[in-house]
Amino acid sequence: MEEAIITRRDFLRAAAGTAAAATLGGALLTAEARSEATAKVVLIRHAEVVGSGGRIEGRIVQSMLDEAVRTLLGAGDPLEAWRSLVKSSDVVGIKSNAWYKLPTPGELEAAIKRRVLEAGVAERNIGLDDRGVLDNLLFLNATALINVRPLRTHHWAGVGTCLKNYIMFVPDPQAYHTDGCSPLGKIWTYPIVKGKTRLNILSALTPQFYGRGANFFDRRYVWPYGGLIVGTDPVAVDTIGAHLLQAKRIAFFGEDRALDVPPIHIVVADKTYHLGVSDLSRIRLIKSGWMEGALV
Amino acid sequence: MKLFSACLLMMVWICPIAAAAAEPLLPSETNGWRWDNQKERHDSRTLYGYMDGAAELYLAYGFQDLTVRLYVKPGLPPITVELYRMASSADAYGVFTFERQDEPAGIGQGSEFGGGMLRFWKGAYFASVYAEGEGAEVESAVIGIGRGVAAAIPATGPEPELIGVVPGKEFGRVDRSVRFLRSHVLLNQRFFIAHRNILNLDRTTEAVLAEYPRDRQKVHLLLVRYPAPKAAGDAYRGFMKAYLPDAGEGDRAKTNDGRWTVARRQAEFILIVFGAPAESDAEGLIKAAEQKLPGRR
Repeated sequence: MEEAIITRRDFLRAAAGTAAAATLGGALLTAEARSEATAKVVLIRHAEVVGSGGRIEGRIVQSMLDEAVRTLLGAGDPLEAWRSLVKSSDVVGIKSNAWYKLPTPGELEAAIKRRVLEAGVAERNIGLDDRGVLDNLLFLNATALINVRPLRTHHWAGVGTCLKNYIMFVPDPQAYHTDGCSPLGKIWTYPIVKGKTRLNILSALTPQFYGRGANFFDRRYVWPYGGLIVGTDPVAVDTIGAHLLQAKRIAFFGEDRALDVPPIHIVVADKTYHLGVSDLSRIRLIKSGWMEGALV
Repeated sequence: MKLFSACLLMMVWICPIAAAAAEPLLPSETNGWRWDNQKERHDSRTLYGYMDGAAELYLAYGFQDLTVRLYVKPGLPPITVELYRMASSADAYGVFTFERQDEPAGIGQGSEFGGGMLRFWKGAYFASVYAEGEGAEVESAVIGIGRGVAAAIPATGPEPELIGVVPGKEFGRVDRSVRFLRSHVLLNQRFFIAHRNILNLDRTTEAVLAEYPRDRQKVHLLLVRYPAPKAAGDAYRGFMKAYLPDAGEGDRAKTNDGRWTVARRQAEFILIVFGAPAESDAEGLIKAAEQKLPGRR
């Protein structure tokens, strides 16, 4: 049987609905209220976590992470929350992001690892990696994954967020770059990661809200937002992240200046791969800490 | 004698390649920004890591190698030069036009400067020069370094021949809307047609996309050249079946937005107009392009 080909005309047919707008126009965030599953995401911010020269205050990052995880899971204290995420018998892979222009801050990686250790996981069973995960036995044998990366715009995917962070789990990443990286969600269905992700953390400490081209990085489009976006639902976390970047572009440029591509992979991860919630109206965002200029 | 002839033949083959691969002598200092003396080069295997996954853009345009240089000045943001050597000047032009959106800067054979980034092409090279910070002094240095890099590239090269075929300003073509494309993935990034490669675009094909405003709407003209008429015929049939099945034996259909799509094949070429408010708008663009097709001028 021939596979159905999706063309522009399919979107034109559906133009009266929201699917086409979401896919083609970047109207990612619909306000349609539906009685479907909801998701919970925590946004926590601190005014002093980003110091002079962009230095990250490790002590503050730790307290932010603790509070976010505790709030997310409704636990009495951070350790109780982490113990509900990982067991002492787990092999834990902390999937980070090493892009040299805006990597996951080492202070955040250390804060995660510290709590995983305190939850009882042996150090020899904790891996921290990005591009080497397919050659890293700890990731190949992982029973639990913690997904952490910076929030930024991305040339092929529109935004670089938690869903995209798993692209290093496939040997042929370029195969997932078609149509605004819409197949990214498929990676999450592969055995190497399926069902293993316990927590998704978007570092919005210094997000990049605009960029052009494949390797573009300009500090004028990076701002000290001082936030972490944390959740168990990667689609919901990414939706909040994409919404934040969109709000910042509108605030900065006076318009929603177009990205290289709209971040359609987030909607596809919801609608096609059923990985979570991409509808803002169904995401319960819990805000904590410093809220001046929060934008969302 | 045979050996001599063989050696001569080899030299004829090798010399142009060697000349093309010679690294341009980039400036060591401009406006007080000095090269940090670190040499960084990437080939197609290492480009992916450098690009954080965005290497396909360059690979689609016949990427050969990348030279990266950092220029530093105490107390001011560093300036990065990325110099990409592509398979041909047409490919360098393609990379440049794929993302073009800002005002020209008068550097190389085509350039733009915006958001602190200079991009230009010259010969088989595409370059981007940018600083991790802002300010008049920094921007002036970005332009200055860009001029130095352009001067170091020894030869110019032709634009893709098809660029001269698409109707120009007399048809209201939008400035900077012309893009030269080598793959359906890139085409879809600029104008989504189908998630499958229904036009059979690859490295052997050349495609040009241009935009024309009509009645406050965007009309797109896509022109594709295939290696041979048969390849164009196969692609045309595939496109009509997937995109315009309701056209029957004809070449057009009115889509659900009330606008027209018209597709025509001429020898090794396919011409398609998307989103025309009236059939006459599509006809006008296609006819104007047909008259300028290579071999028909």
